Formats: sequence, structure tokens, C-alpha cells
Amino acid sequence: MQTIFDLQNVSHSYLDKFEALKNINLTMTAGEQITIIGANGSGKSTLLLILDALIYATSGEVYAFGNPVTEERFNALEDNEFARYFRTKVGFVFQNPDVQLFSSTVFDEIAFGPLQLGLPREEVIKRTEEVITMLALSNLRDRAPHTLSGGERKKVCIASILSINPDVLLLDEPTGGLDPRTQLWLTELLQDLAKAGKTIITATHDMNIVEQISTRSIVFGEDHTIRADSSSTEVMNDHELLLSANLIHEHMHWHGELLHEHLHPSEGEHHHEQ
Amino acid sequence: MIPDWMNQTEAGSYHGAASEAKKKGFAKKTVDGVLGFFQESLISEAFAKRKGLLQSLDPRVKLISMFVLVVGVTFMTSPWVLLVIYLLTLVLAYFSKIEVLWFVKRVWVFIPIFAGVIVIPILFNVFLAGDVLVPIATLGNGSHLGPIALPSSIYITRQGTTYVVTFILRVAACVSLAILLFLTTQRDLLFKSMRTLYVPKVYVLTISMCYRYIFLLLDTIADLFTARRSRQIVSLPLREEQRWVGGRVGYMLVKSLDMSDKVHEAMISRGFNGDVKLMHDNVMHHRDYVAIVTVLACCVILALISRSIISI
Repeated sequence: MQTIFDLQNVSHSYLDKFEALKNINLTMTAGEQITIIGANGSGKSTLLLILDALIYATSGEVYAFGNPVTEERFNALEDNEFARYFRTKVGFVFQNPDVQLFSSTVFDEIAFGPLQLGLPREEVIKRTEEVITMLALSNLRDRAPHTLSGGERKKVCIASILSINPDVLLLDEPTGGLDPRTQLWLTELLQDLAKAGKTIITATHDMNIVEQISTRSIVFGEDHTIRADSSSTEVMNDHELLLSANLIHEHMHWHGELLHEHLHPSEGEHHHEQ
Repeated sequence: MIPDWMNQTEAGSYHGAASEAKKKGFAKKTVDGVLGFFQESLISEAFAKRKGLLQSLDPRVKLISMFVLVVGVTFMTSPWVLLVIYLLTLVLAYFSKIEVLWFVKRVWVFIPIFAGVIVIPILFNVFLAGDVLVPIATLGNGSHLGPIALPSSIYITRQGTTYVVTFILRVAACVSLAILLFLTTQRDLLFKSMRTLYVPKVYVLTISMCYRYIFLLLDTIADLFTARRSRQIVSLPLREEQRWVGGRVGYMLVKSLDMSDKVHEAMISRGFNGDVKLMHDNVMHHRDYVAIVTVLACCVILALISRSIISI
């Protein structure tokens, strides 16, 4: 399988002070479905931003499609063949839909990506219409983003990326704030895209979806390092690992497939039977 | 651990005095203002979607026509011709399925604020000499208002009145045309049609993004003020209120800068490299050509009549 991302000893810190990633070594190959899981502030979103070449490693090396990813190669104001190739191949669904929905209408939003990539006008319209049909967004076609509900915004965000037809999808907390029906819709969509051969990399701390949308899980610790990198099933069954990474609490955990949660006094002895 | 004071609860009926505020607090006024803006924008969008005369025209034709008419109106000096143009805007509003009374009110809200205050002094002979129309006061010779020498009698002049009426009608016609354009055109199409006036693409994109994010930032402001109201028990001194508002202004600035960085990242992620590409999907129909020729002809004829170059 072709290697898509290769990270070697990558670290990143904001303002040279706040460490977000520490010594990350990773390889991601085409067609994988990967979840990056970790507690709040563990570095998941930073890793996605690095994978999408929106921020850069402060130390270490990042390779995408066999090419080094450096700030110089992705200078936003200059047209660069590799940068263009990269943007065609990698799509990023941001956590906050308001960041991503900057156009006046849903149609313009979905057409934005293909237009920027220089596709012919007819092709842009065709793709936009087909994505609108695929995601059942016809009734929202001419609506302004501020008039959409949270679930609708998320759908339009995903549509705006799918119209580029990227091989690699990066998703940052995609189920955050979604109602159960939209969460299910999203899970099924990601499964369908996986079957179509897309590489899907999702940052989340929603443990309910990990095994449904990924076969491999990378667990980030609160010290911004990788604590584990193995199959999603193994990770989800490793109670100690999930506890130490602050992904579950001792009193909120799974028994097989069942989420188990209960109140308890915060003092005194307390036992759990596994 | 819950502290002791938090364990004390006293939920029950309140039997004390309750006063009703006569004036709204500044937080409530701000929230109402934001909600009013949202409501106005929804009403405007609803008008733009009606199947009326102006809505059926190509937005580029409307923009150019309105632009030509506004320029033409500034060259017209006859109040009668300006009155005709103003009445014409009412007719256009009627055929564009806009409630005429509502439209008139909306236009005349602006007139006293922006035009009336500026030109009212011109009515009097203190600023513009002319024939007596309405005498106001007799001051006698040598009257002064501070360093300004006043005439012996103050009156409203015929020339001043004509000037004021002409000016107000001109403003009313221009404001009506601008509001008509705004009410009968979907925002995205209106912004894109600015390209026909050779407005650079980057400005068109910036304007449409500004319009989109105004809603988001106003929503945040409304939330801030609502959250404050929910925790406000007593009114604070004015200085404290001002300090809080100042702090929120700073917060909004930081938040909008942070948002602009993230939006830029989202644009780059989808292939934006500084060269703006926009979709243009407008097609000109026969009625659009008829409309623009009619507007141009009317504008030229009315301007010539107004300047007494031709007479009817």
C-alpha cells in the first residue's frame, strides 16, 4: 500500500511555549481508516492541521505522498504544483462549521473547492449538483449558512469537501454537537466512503464511534505523545490504556458493547466487578 | 465537596414587592437590536424570493439600472421630475410585491436623520438669502448670535424651501432605489453582480464574506449580552457598565481575528491561493435588455426635462 503520510520525530509548539505534539512517529497508508483519540488538549487537532499542511512541525519531518511538507512549499500566495496536487488529494472537515462555511449560499460553498482547483465551469456545476443530490441537500441549495441548523451545517461542510473528491479525508471531531440521527448518518457515510477506498483519518474523543469508523486507532496521552497505535478493537478493549489517556473514567465505561455509567459517592471504598 | 453554603436551598413562592422597569437596560436593548437586525434580514430575503417585476430581472441589469438612475437623479434639478422618479420607485415596489406603505416608512426613516438635519438651516434667510415665504421673527438691526451677524428679520425663503424640497426628494429617490435593489435581489447575486461594474473579485469575495460573518458575530454579541442579563441581579454604575462593554469589544476583536485566521486556513485547505474564482450563473433575457434600455432612455429624457433642455 502506498504511504500517504510519514511523520518522523515531529513536535509542534504554539508560540514556542505551549507544547502540542511531542516526538510523533507515524506512517499512514492509502485506504486506511484511522481514528486519532485523546483527551481535550492532547494534540489531536494540531496533528490534523499538520497533516493538512496548514501548520508545520517545529521540529522533525513530515512527508506527504513521498514529498516533504514544508512551509516554503505551501506558500499560499504562489501557485505550486505539489501544493495543488496535495489540495486535490486531501480534504479537511473542520470542527467548527462556521469556520468552513464562508460562502453566501450552500451551492457556492460546495462549488468553492472545485472552482479554486481550476476545474472547468461545467464540471464544477456537475460535481456540485451531484454532491447536493448524494447528501440530499437540494432543499438547502440556495440557503445562507447562518440559516442552517447544526446538523445541516455539518452536512454542508462535508459536502464542500467531497466535491473536491479527495482521496484522504481528515475530520476533526465530526460528531461533536450532532443529534443521534445525524451522528448515525455521518457514521454510515464514512463507512460508505471507506468502502469506496478513501483514506479516512478522524480525530475524536467520542468512544462510541471509534470501532464503527476505523480499523486502526492512535491514542494520544495528555503528555502529547502517542500512547498506543494498534487496531481499534485492541485499543477499545484496553481498559487501562483508555483510563490512563483520560478517555474513560473508572465510573463511566463499557461492558462489551454497552456503555455503563453510574453515580457514586466521591469518598469511601468503591469496587467494580469486571 | 460541596461547601456548606451551597447545601442551603430556599426554593419557594416569592411574596415580596416587584417593580416593573420603565426603561430597558442597555443589555436588553442590544439584544433587541441584534434580533431586529436578524428579523430585518429575513424579511429582506423573503422579498427577494417573491415573484415580482424587479425580482425577475437579471441582478446585473438591476445594479446597472439603479446606478444609472442614482447618477441621473443627482443631475436633476426640478423637484417635479424628482417627484416623478420617487413615485416611479413606489410603482416599482408595488409591482415587485413589496408592501408600498412599509416601503415608504422604511425609506422615510432615513430622510430626517441623514438629509433633514443637514438642509433644514437652508430654509432660513440666515444661510440663504431669498424672497419671504414665512416670516419667523423681527430682530432689528445689529443683532448678533455670538460672532455671527444676524439679519434684521428672520424668515423662511421661497428659494430655500425649493432647495430643501429638491434635496429631500433627491435623497428620497436615491434611498428608495438603493433599498429597492437590496430588497429585490438575493445578497449573493447582488454581490456577484458588482463584477459588472468592474469591482475587483477580491473585494466582491470580501464583501460577501463580511456580510456572512456579521451574522455570526452578532449572534455571539447577543449571546454575551443574554448571558450577562441572566446573571445580573442589580444594575451596575455607568462606569462599570462601560468597562464591561469595553472589555467585550476587545473580546470580540480578538475572537474575530482568531476566526479570520481559521477561515483563511479553511480556504487554503480547499485550494485557495489568493486568486479568487467566483461562479457566475446569470443569463440575460429579452426582458433584461428591454429593462435596461427603458431605464437609460427614461433617465436621459428626465434629466433633459429637468435641465429645461427639452420641454413637454
